[in-house]
Amino acid sequence: MKNTIFPLIALLFFPGGAFVLLSGLAYEWVDRKLVARLQNRIGPRWFQPLADTIKSLAKEEVIPDGVHPTLFIALPIIALAAALTAALYVPMAGLAPSFSFRGDLIVTLYLLSMMTLCTGLAGANTLDRFSLVGATRTLTQLFSYEAPFLLALLGPAIVAGSWQISDITAYAREHWWLILVTQPISLVVAMIGLMGKLELPPFDAPEAETEIVSGALTEYSGRGLALFHIGKNAELVIGLTLVSAFFLGGLANPIEFLVKTLALLVVIAVLQSLFARLRIDQTVGLWWRYGAILVLVQFLILVVLKGMGIL
Amino acid sequence: MKLGAMLGNVLTSLFRKPATQKYPFEKLQAPERLRGRLVWDPSKCTGCQLCVKDCPSNAVELIVLDKAAKRFVLRYDIDRCTYCGQCVENCRFKCLEMSSEDWELASIQKQPFTVYYGHDSDVEFLLARSAESDNIAPFGD
Amino acid sequence: MDSNPQRQKFIIPIGPQHPALKEPGHFEFTIDGEIVTYATARLGYVHRGIEKGCEDRNWIQSLYLLERICGICSHVHATAYVLGVETLAGVTVPPRAQAIRVLVAELERIHSHLLWLGVAAHEAGFDTLFMYSWRDRETVMDLLESLCGNRVNYSANVLGGVKCDVTQELSDSIRKGLDYLEERTHYYLKVVTTDETFLGRTRGVGSLTPEQVDLLGTVGPTARASGLLRDVRIDSPYAAYPEYPVQIVIDHGGDLLARFVVRLKELFESYRVIRQILETLPAGDLTVRVPRKIPEGETVSRVEAPRGELFYYIKSNGSDKPDRIKVRTPSICNWASVIVTAIGHKLADMPMILAGIDPCFSCSDRSVHIIRNTDSTSETWTWQQLRQYGIQYYQR
Repeated sequence: MKNTIFPLIALLFFPGGAFVLLSGLAYEWVDRKLVARLQNRIGPRWFQPLADTIKSLAKEEVIPDGVHPTLFIALPIIALAAALTAALYVPMAGLAPSFSFRGDLIVTLYLLSMMTLCTGLAGANTLDRFSLVGATRTLTQLFSYEAPFLLALLGPAIVAGSWQISDITAYAREHWWLILVTQPISLVVAMIGLMGKLELPPFDAPEAETEIVSGALTEYSGRGLALFHIGKNAELVIGLTLVSAFFLGGLANPIEFLVKTLALLVVIAVLQSLFARLRIDQTVGLWWRYGAILVLVQFLILVVLKGMGIL
Repeated sequence: MKLGAMLGNVLTSLFRKPATQKYPFEKLQAPERLRGRLVWDPSKCTGCQLCVKDCPSNAVELIVLDKAAKRFVLRYDIDRCTYCGQCVENCRFKCLEMSSEDWELASIQKQPFTVYYGHDSDVEFLLARSAESDNIAPFGD
Repeated sequence: MDSNPQRQKFIIPIGPQHPALKEPGHFEFTIDGEIVTYATARLGYVHRGIEKGCEDRNWIQSLYLLERICGICSHVHATAYVLGVETLAGVTVPPRAQAIRVLVAELERIHSHLLWLGVAAHEAGFDTLFMYSWRDRETVMDLLESLCGNRVNYSANVLGGVKCDVTQELSDSIRKGLDYLEERTHYYLKVVTTDETFLGRTRGVGSLTPEQVDLLGTVGPTARASGLLRDVRIDSPYAAYPEYPVQIVIDHGGDLLARFVVRLKELFESYRVIRQILETLPAGDLTVRVPRKIPEGETVSRVEAPRGELFYYIKSNGSDKPDRIKVRTPSICNWASVIVTAIGHKLADMPMILAGIDPCFSCSDRSVHIIRNTDSTSETWTWQQLRQYGIQYYQR
């Protein structure tokens, strides 16, 4: 009995399920409010993302002609499910991850990429030109940033000597200043990789509003759109948790969780408002030129330091 | 090669008041030359109808009740008016002016958009006359 | 463009409803991957029949109708019209009125260029620059409101002069506003020319050589960005421009970055001219009497709108209503350059190239040319044919 209740609570309420969804909405509000203030505007009130989600869920879902209906309806659900499952393996709210096994870093990252794959598939599923162009761009961006992002997150994994998130977090908690000093490049690449994953400006070419209306999700409305949207918010929270757990010294308690993830979010908001949108070919060029090289340089430094016995 | 050229401005905005005006809780003072709603002073009007002649959108109409006794009623359509101010320019006796306080003219019903200016007795007379005979509408067209 | 048969490639429609366009217009880009291989344009969605409407209204009423062809360049439309009518009527407008006309025209140029800066930044995805430039544009809108009485469609002109006078207080507030705007313009020029991400979107995009510009008949800042010396204020000065001459602003880059630089530098010229006018405003009347019936004749008047050369043809037959008014707006001349430069660029550059010519769709829609899809003939319909078609269409 006990064995089935605890996983159920973990899955539905905390730290998966309701907690991730609600904190996703809260983080989205913080992001939008910050960007607005940086642009000298007021920004939305605290309940705006919640109101948007409720409104979208309540609207009629229009299934366009020429799509595969089962795929159309199932893809948002799969995307959200993947994002929520990934929440079980990261140290949400500063507490230990609910489930942990060897190699769960790779599983978590794979689950986070499922979201982007589902978006790409959803775009390819329709006959609409804008969605097709958006799907192509989403998948192109996926290919380009995924490698540097993964490699950047592997930096702390290498020095911790494990592929298990709880082990890496424990190591980071003990040696937080060491990681920050020896792997600043990885931190920068991971943060920018997170922005690319979430399609935040300046990497929002896949959903460039002024070119291809809404990218891969143009045809979605109502429930499907709401599910994709909250899936993206969940990904924001999980991504922030991962990066701050690895590079900013682990998350020991809820206060640290709040402080560190919000600090990262502030930096991301400032970066969001500073740049013009990059074209998709510029994004790919940026990642495959600078991102990969920087990460490889970082690895070289790690190898040298390990050889010298410091790490 | 400069990345983030707007950084200075962007960061200081975080600590400054937003530029948004919180209308309707905060209303800025309108300048005195603002061309708001038209206002008519019947005591100076001679009934020359120059204002009616040059209105681009037929928003003004002078209804003559008694030319000799100078009893006129001005019918003004707020929704037709383009707020150009030509009638004000044309009037030689300075009867017309555009208010600078009355510029929030939106309404969800059709009725407030037709305004009758004149001495109260004249306006009542006009409305009563149109009510009792159906074929004389208060509108001139 | 030559009538190519429809190729079965991927066609992306932009418009008539699209977040990139502020007004409706239809563009079809045939793309291959991300490269555009063919482009067509179709306008006519905002045709309102204004030229026809002027024939039913008297000269004064037509002034206000023509002013509303466009919201951003309304004053130059009114100025072109009254200059033409005053030539026909043979009256000389007092110099104070002409100077105030130029003052309002330059203020409008400032407002239009700041608006364009924001819109072009928005098309590039640079929302921060969009918000900041529109916030600063509020300064000039407030100045125009306190001077003329309205933020758009200023109605400063009347036949024979202007309606609004410049007092000392207004003059001081204009100067203060201009000081603030000048400082901000320096900042925007710096941002536009040094920010690396923005340069990545504008440098080398949409290049036009001077020969191409000459061939396509482009006007305004788009032509001046390729080095052409084309500015009506200098070629044939009108209103008070002989007394307050303008220096031409050109750039030899020919690409989008050059267009940004030209428009921002033109702002400095406008500030200088306005300050000069405020200092040396001649005293005198504001209007001169113009007869109600304009003598017979036809005339042409050209002014420099913020987008280029605006051309009016006015014909009078001696009555109190115009006989024919033909308006040729600058945006019509610039569309061809979009179609030509679009080929070979990526799809992501399309909104930027469209925004680069500062399109004003409301200005562009004059006559309607209907091309039937079933056969390859094309004809221009008369009013009766159009009305007949409409009656039949709704009877179905």
